[in-house]
Amino acid sequence: MVDDSHNQEFEELRKAARPCFQCGICASSCPVFRVTPQMNPRMSVDSIITDGEIPREGAEWLCAFCLMCEERCPMGVSLAEILMGIKNISSKEGKAPPDYVESGEALLAKGSLSPTSNRSDKKRVALGLPDLPQPDLEQVKLIFKATGAYDVLEANRAAVKEEAE
Amino acid sequence: MKYAFFPGCTMANRLQFAEKSVRMVVPEFGIELVDLAFTCCPEQNSVRSLSEDTWVTFAARNIALAEAESLDILTACAGCHESLTLAKYELDTNPERKEKANEILEDMGLEYKGTSSIIHVHQFLFDEIGVETISAKVVRPVPIKVVTHSGCHLLRPQKIMQVDDAEAPVKLDMLCEAIGMESLEYMDKVMCCGAGVRKTDSETSYAVLREKMTSITMVEPDAMIVFCPTCFITFESGQRVTNRLFGTEFKLPVFYYTELLAIAMGLPDTDMLLADHRVKIELPKFVDTKKEDSESISTGL
Repeated sequence: MVDDSHNQEFEELRKAARPCFQCGICASSCPVFRVTPQMNPRMSVDSIITDGEIPREGAEWLCAFCLMCEERCPMGVSLAEILMGIKNISSKEGKAPPDYVESGEALLAKGSLSPTSNRSDKKRVALGLPDLPQPDLEQVKLIFKATGAYDVLEANRAAVKEEAE
Repeated sequence: MKYAFFPGCTMANRLQFAEKSVRMVVPEFGIELVDLAFTCCPEQNSVRSLSEDTWVTFAARNIALAEAESLDILTACAGCHESLTLAKYELDTNPERKEKANEILEDMGLEYKGTSSIIHVHQFLFDEIGVETISAKVVRPVPIKVVTHSGCHLLRPQKIMQVDDAEAPVKLDMLCEAIGMESLEYMDKVMCCGAGVRKTDSETSYAVLREKMTSITMVEPDAMIVFCPTCFITFESGQRVTNRLFGTEFKLPVFYYTELLAIAMGLPDTDMLLADHRVKIELPKFVDTKKEDSESISTGL
């Protein structure tokens, strides 16, 4: 088991989770919990407060980030932000699901998650829509490099490769 | 007045007719739209999940591009709007973050200052223009019964987004009524469309959509009105997947609000907006009491 007790990222999550008194309105407001109960924001927070562990067994990736939970939390706990923090930690550990890694690669390659295609260009011309100015991809690379996104992608590429082997 | 227009990748490359409707309608209110070399907003679920710093820096670059032109940003996608707005909030309230982002932007000759505001077409129409002015522009009312879905990312977190009441939104309903529609209340009005979890677990995502559509169809609307291209695609195309997965029979037409506004304002060439809709609707015939001849509203069928 990973020892999270002295981890600064864990301390930040614990601070954010501390006001939670486990009322469960987050889970009962969660559209994903309604159909897939393994996604339970209350349990993720409970694991941080009670067990002193960052729960990264995968449920964090089931968050739709609709923010219903934190809108309704009577203690103002930002549950979706806590789950986002957990996703950041699990991404660094190479545990991001393949589709997320693909999105990261698309942003790096094109500066866009739904890049233009011949089909979409044709449609734009037919509707008389303007050519959109394209971003300088050197700037995109610069941001990836300076913010650690290269390392995150690399960690996940390695994990995807390991799994394939 | 000018805005830097931020259609976002989904609208620009997958829902072009919705972008067209925004570009048709907004100039009618005296606004010029300027296109800048934006990247993806970036989408929070995909990019922010990988790295918080990467997300906030891309957003800072996009906002800084508009600031360099002294322009405010007009967004059309709820996801882009929330991503840019939350990043701006983060940059404006956390000096360390701002400094860190600016160290990177400096190498591109850019600086995030915090001077440009970010508004969505929803806010532009309701807050800047107002329902009375919109009503006054209507020449062909659209008398259909609709349900509205403002979109999670316009509504929450309410304390930062400030678009409408997060639990009981009414502004999009008022915009619909301003152009002759009847807006119906329904259960689960502020529930998510399910798009956010599609990458991780598509069956869960369509099960969320099934729940939402079940509540919607209870009130028997003619169509559904949205203000987000991702929600649009989820509802329109996702219904078919939901039907296949769960044996449901959803077949509800979906519109991005400004498509119907363009029709109501009598703007030319609205046929081309509706031609690519996958679930068609025949809009009721328009009877102009001031004219002798009645005209039917063009539906692109």
